[in-house]
Amino acid sequence: MIFDLTTGAFYYMAGASVLSAILAVTRKNPVHSMLWVLSLFMHVAGIFLVLHAEFLAAVQVIVYAGAILIFYLFIVMLLDLSGEETRPRFGAHWPLAGIAGILFIIIALFPQVEPRVAEDPSPGNLAQVGQQLFGPFALPFEIVSLVLLAAIIGAVVLARKREIEA
Amino acid sequence: MIVPMNVVLGLSAVLFAIGAFGFLARRNIILMFISVEIMLTAINISLAGFCLHHGNLRGQVLALFVIAIAAAEAGIGLGLLIAKNRNKSGADVSDLNKLKW
Repeated sequence: MIFDLTTGAFYYMAGASVLSAILAVTRKNPVHSMLWVLSLFMHVAGIFLVLHAEFLAAVQVIVYAGAILIFYLFIVMLLDLSGEETRPRFGAHWPLAGIAGILFIIIALFPQVEPRVAEDPSPGNLAQVGQQLFGPFALPFEIVSLVLLAAIIGAVVLARKREIEA
Repeated sequence: MIVPMNVVLGLSAVLFAIGAFGFLARRNIILMFISVEIMLTAINISLAGFCLHHGNLRGQVLALFVIAIAAAEAGIGLGLLIAKNRNKSGADVSDLNKLKW
C-alpha cells in the first residue's frame, strides 16, 4: 500500500483523539480534563475534514470548542472545587463502568459495511448543507430552534436567584 | 474512500465506550457532562462517516442537530448544577443521596 498523507493524518488524529479522551476522563483536575477535551475536539474536527464534512469541522471548532467547552470551563471556575484533588476520582462502582465500556468496545469489532461507491463524489460543501437545511430539513431545523429557546429559558429560570417568599 | 468505513465506525465506538465509562465512573458531575459530550462527538463521527459512505448529506444535517442538542443539554445541566450549588456546595454526585432508598 502506498503511503497516503491523508490516510496517515486520519490515523494520527484517530489515535490522538482516543488518547485525549482517555486522559480527559481520568485526570483528577477538572481544568486539565477540559483541556484534554479541547484537544479531542480539535482532532475530531480534523477527522471531519478527512471525511469531507468541512462545514461540520468548522462548527465543531466554533460551537463545540469555542462555545460549549468555554461554558464548561466557566462553570468549573465559578464553583468551588478546591477539595476535588483530594477525593477519589471514580466512584466505588468503577469496575462495573469499565465492563460497560469494554462491552461497547466489543461492538466496535463487528461493524460490517460493504464498500460502495458514493453517488456524489464530493458531498460536504457549505452550499449543499445549506440547501438540505432549508429544503427537506426545514421543519426539524425550526424545531431545533424551539428546543434551544426552551433550553435558554430553562437555564435562566434554573440559575436565577430566587427572591425570598414572605 | 480514503479511510475504510469499518475504521471510522470502530473509532466512533471506541470513543463512545470511553465516554460511557467516564459517565458511569466519574464522581464529579461536570466531568460526567463532559463524558456525555465525548459520546455525542463519537456519534457525530459515525454520522459523518455514513454521510461520506452513502454520498448524501443527511448525516451531516443530523450531526448539526446533535450539536444543537448538546448545547441545550450543557445549558440545562449546568444551570441545574448552579441551582444545586446554592444549597450544597461541591459537584460530587455521591453527595446527592436525599432520594436514595
